[in-house]
Amino acid sequence: MNRTLGGRLRLALFLGGVGLHRLAAYRLDFLLGSGAFLVRVGLQTVTVGVVFSHVPAVAGWSYHQVLFLLGCALLPRGLDHLFTDQLWELSRKLIQRGEFYRYLIRPVNPLFALLSERFFHPDGIGELLVGLVLVLWSGAELGLDPTALQWALAPLLVVAGALIHFSVKLFFASLSFWTVTSMPALQTVTQVSEFAGYPLDLYHASLRTLLTWVLPFAFTSYAPAVYLLHDDTGLLRWLPAVTGLSLLAALALWRRGLSRYEMTGS
Amino acid sequence: MIVAEGLTKDFRIAERRPGLLGSLSTLLTREYRTVHAVDGISFALRAGSKTAYIGANGAGKSTTIKMLTGIMTPTSGRCLVNGVEPYRHRRENARAIGVVFGQRSQLWWDLSVPDSFRILRRIYAIPDAVYERNLALYRELLDIDALGTTPVRQLSLGQRMRAEIAASLLHDPKVVFWDEPTIGLDMVLKEAVRELVNRANAELGTTVLLTSHDLSDIAAICDDALVVDGGRVVHEGTLTELLGRADRRSVVFDHRGGPGPLDAARGVEAGLPGATATVTPEGRIRVDYPAASLTSRQVLGFLLDRFELTDCYAPEPDLETVLRQIYRGGVPAARNGGGA
Repeated sequence: MNRTLGGRLRLALFLGGVGLHRLAAYRLDFLLGSGAFLVRVGLQTVTVGVVFSHVPAVAGWSYHQVLFLLGCALLPRGLDHLFTDQLWELSRKLIQRGEFYRYLIRPVNPLFALLSERFFHPDGIGELLVGLVLVLWSGAELGLDPTALQWALAPLLVVAGALIHFSVKLFFASLSFWTVTSMPALQTVTQVSEFAGYPLDLYHASLRTLLTWVLPFAFTSYAPAVYLLHDDTGLLRWLPAVTGLSLLAALALWRRGLSRYEMTGS
Repeated sequence: MIVAEGLTKDFRIAERRPGLLGSLSTLLTREYRTVHAVDGISFALRAGSKTAYIGANGAGKSTTIKMLTGIMTPTSGRCLVNGVEPYRHRRENARAIGVVFGQRSQLWWDLSVPDSFRILRRIYAIPDAVYERNLALYRELLDIDALGTTPVRQLSLGQRMRAEIAASLLHDPKVVFWDEPTIGLDMVLKEAVRELVNRANAELGTTVLLTSHDLSDIAAICDDALVVDGGRVVHEGTLTELLGRADRRSVVFDHRGGPGPLDAARGVEAGLPGATATVTPEGRIRVDYPAASLTSRQVLGFLLDRFELTDCYAPEPDLETVLRQIYRGGVPAARNGGGA
């Protein structure tokens, strides 16, 4: 049936279409969401601009380099957002209200069934577009001339970063199998991830370690940015291992959660 | 088709002490209590059977169904549906079953019913012929088109239940698990739902496992009954056998001449110790007697002897009476009916 990869892709596209269809029902919500997002990124850019109107460089980073980093942070975040927003619902109410069962009675992988309910979340498209504009514009301002290898690796870095975002989100959303809701935890982690949009060199060593080795958001933005800006591969070498391990840990917790799932109520 | 072997589900429940101080103290020291929701039950239901799963509140019906549908994993023991352990092979199991939990929607909340059906058609890869046939049936019996393009979240309970029922049968499942499928439905729709599942059973051999608070659903759909009490099976057999286990029988009669209805009733009670006689609103006399101390022969013999009967019938014991008796512990746990 839907076992083949092609079949699954077709189903994904179909369900994505359904997601867009549903969007029409929440047009106002969509407009508010994208409006708020643009204001937020706009404010971030302005804040960075204000800081740099007083100093020429911060921790060795110029204005356009910081914007480049910000763009690098937005791309994987947007890609992840596009496909995995339903994890917020998992952490918020799906377990608590006993609704999660519906993903377990369909002949579709439960994680896929869960995520597919919010495929192609419009906020993700906004983040991807703004991220792309920031990276291209500040890259041009900096006169960046990437090597062939850098061009080739760039999309992979975005995908790996999105997988890290996804893993962390899945891990903390899966905690709700034990704690019923885990939204506060997920919110906290998301706030921590915002730090990765700025140069790690600004922070105390403890925060740097946290962002690199515990909640590895540094690999979604800082590591790719220093590689593309300075050809610095010190941190980047760890990217495959970090992505793989994050994914494995998150999937393991998700599976354990599934097997202990208790559907509340009758 | 459906087999349970020593199926057990325990829940660990944190004990809470009452009051604010109690709540705070449970933050520091937690004590757990284990609840045996399902306690090692075993049964086997054959393919094509229509079984009512009966038990008082808290008997573990829903928990069992959640294990049979693959939603929850048993603490110990196992179950097989269509030869597959559901919680181990969820996807394979899901292809073969249809599920309704009356209290919980499985539809896409923000989508209309036709859109939900279109998704299900894709997910289950339902052949065109099957999809069209079933849709035609739902139009005829459930008036499904009347639900229009309203998102599911805006439907009334009755409207939503129609869609849930249809969704559970859309892919011609081999087994359907219906947990309270008729809540919110009026008499006409209840009839339609019963006909729908009976047709699927007759034409496709669909196996049915049903729980319902509405005993008329059970009577209209099921041939078999599985009764669970206190976490164990107390009856596994036909519904007729179950009814035969009632410990009281009744006879209703009309007579000509002789004493008036009230006196006649008093006469019956005097002549048949243990029996109670009441006058029905239609002026007939109803005699209820314990099957243990009086035989039908004794009772009918007495009535024929005493009265000039013009009409007489023995109503079947009703399910409610039998169940009340079982829940009270009045019927011994026997596997093969007996009693009748």
